[in-house]
Amino acid sequence: MTQTAARNMFVVGTIIFGLIFLYMTYDSLRQMPKRTHEEALTDEVVEGKALWQKHNCNDCHTILGIGGYYAPDITKVSTYRNDDWLKRFLKDPQGTWPAKRVMPNLHLSDRDVSALVAFMKWVSNIDTNGWPPKPMNAAAATTPGEGPADKAAEGRALVGRLGCQGCHKINGAGGDAGPDLTHVGSRLPDIAWHISHLKDPGKLRPGSAMPPFSNLPESELDEVAEYLVTLK
Amino acid sequence: MTHKTQREAYPYFVMAVLLFGLQLVFGFLTIAKYIWPDPLIGILPFNTTRAIHMNLLVFWLLFGFMGGTYYMIPEESGAELYSPLLARIQFWLLAGGGVAAIVGYVLGYSWGMPFLEQPTPIKVLIVVAALIFLYNAFMTVMKTKRWTAIQGVLIGGMVFLAVMFLFGIVFMRNLATQYYLWWWVIHLWVEGAWELITGAIMAFILLKLTGVDRALVEKWLYVEIALVLFTGIIGTGHHYYWIGTPSYWLWWGGIFSALEPLPILFMVIDTMRNVRERKVEIKNRMALRWTVGCAWFHFVGAGVWGFAHTLPQINQWTHGTQITASHGHMAFFGAYAMVNLTMIYFAVPKLKGFADYDQRRGERAFWMMVSGMFMMGLSLSVAGIVQTYLNRVLGMDFLLTQDYMRLWFMVTMASAGLFAYGALTFIYDFFFMKPVEA
Repeated sequence: MTQTAARNMFVVGTIIFGLIFLYMTYDSLRQMPKRTHEEALTDEVVEGKALWQKHNCNDCHTILGIGGYYAPDITKVSTYRNDDWLKRFLKDPQGTWPAKRVMPNLHLSDRDVSALVAFMKWVSNIDTNGWPPKPMNAAAATTPGEGPADKAAEGRALVGRLGCQGCHKINGAGGDAGPDLTHVGSRLPDIAWHISHLKDPGKLRPGSAMPPFSNLPESELDEVAEYLVTLK
Repeated sequence: MTHKTQREAYPYFVMAVLLFGLQLVFGFLTIAKYIWPDPLIGILPFNTTRAIHMNLLVFWLLFGFMGGTYYMIPEESGAELYSPLLARIQFWLLAGGGVAAIVGYVLGYSWGMPFLEQPTPIKVLIVVAALIFLYNAFMTVMKTKRWTAIQGVLIGGMVFLAVMFLFGIVFMRNLATQYYLWWWVIHLWVEGAWELITGAIMAFILLKLTGVDRALVEKWLYVEIALVLFTGIIGTGHHYYWIGTPSYWLWWGGIFSALEPLPILFMVIDTMRNVRERKVEIKNRMALRWTVGCAWFHFVGAGVWGFAHTLPQINQWTHGTQITASHGHMAFFGAYAMVNLTMIYFAVPKLKGFADYDQRRGERAFWMMVSGMFMMGLSLSVAGIVQTYLNRVLGMDFLLTQDYMRLWFMVTMASAGLFAYGALTFIYDFFFMKPVEA
């Protein structure tokens, strides 16, 4: 091959692959409004996005899997944290989740908090081709049975997702803000007690710092309780 | 060195080396936050140190590329630089923009997209500096109109770099679209424009160092950059798997990005062949060491580590974990930090007027940096594998997973210690290298 032939191959090939790429970009940008539900992209969501950028959230957190790797990915956060939790967390990160790795309190106004939550909710509805995939143990339990063992397995996954170990230790892993739950089932074997405690911790334990989980559905409260009593 | 105005490159190299040193400081601050509670959270939280660490990287590499260009263009064109004054003005504009950006991050000003955190006025300043740079380089070539393949590719790569940056300036309402175009900057820089610049610099140095035939070097340069762009442009698709883009990108991105290591392997083979068939004795052994080292580490860090997690079947589990951080460190160092270090070791002895220089300290620096970075890459990979398994496969909570990765962050930090010792040795060598009487 001569130098001229190599140059011509470079020029012609680059133009061809560049044009293919531009056409794919045209097609992607045509499809993305639907895949990202742009009809729900309100001014409040955009305000949330601007705040997300202003506070440089993305250099700690990842979103769509891109960013700082230092703090949790928030792409689908709205699917496992409700608005109430998110708002409490954004107002007071350390009080809501006393983990060792700390998010600074950004002293956000109520309006800012609402905009950020609206932004996260909009992001969680983006069609990400199934990412992130369901963890394998959760995927294996997609058709749970009704027995206590099945419920406990679901409860265990829920405890993982809800971040209970931000405060509580279980088998040596977790935080120190709340009591160690490794043997909680021996101390407190009553499922009904756990359900009502989860709904309103302060009622059974006056002065408790634990936030209420009253907005979880009964079935999930039941599953968490079933899991807790197996910890003996 | 054949032209007086090649000296304009020197301040660029000085700035590159100083920013590189500062980048390491912010690297240590950042990794420490993974290991211990953060006493600096009120002044320099993680997002600030990370933004500064990465911005310093980009700025020092750009200073290096521009210095390299100012060194190469007069020699390739056979003419003095069009305007040394513009080169100096442009230097201070870029340096001023960089300082303003970093001070701004500490004070809490950020545009909030990774790598592109610079507030818009600073981005405009960077564009102005880039335009002056391109004008100066272009006008120099136009003095003699000797468009060699090397300087054509070099300036082409620089124009490509500048144009892509424009896609990182506009605020979009839709986060997915914003990220779609953000990758035009990030991916088409590192797997497009910067590869062209690197190819041209490597070709220039191999040509000068080994005395092989120019026609041969330039022919393979075209073949390499052709393969880079054929695979790399559509290879952008490996970033379009999970961000709200159509699912056909899983196929297109997967196949094309899987081919991306090929041109890099090609560069390794080409480099080794040129060195083997050299026509002159290579006196500047450090320049040769970095050239060969760059070709190999480029292949390992960008090629092998990139390939390891580029297929969507794997990437769905590893996306957004420390695996990416591992690849990022080894690829940026192996490809772009090392090509700049190659250029520096090639040009700086000449700029200082040394026919030969004492190369023992540089030799130690090379091995400490290369092995330190490789160990960092490995330990971050292990951290990433632990994270992928516990967090993604088993579904353990993110922060809980981090506890199990702590040991590997410590190993990373220790390896970074070795790297930094090598880097400091290099910085000392840069300023205080001693000539050897022939």
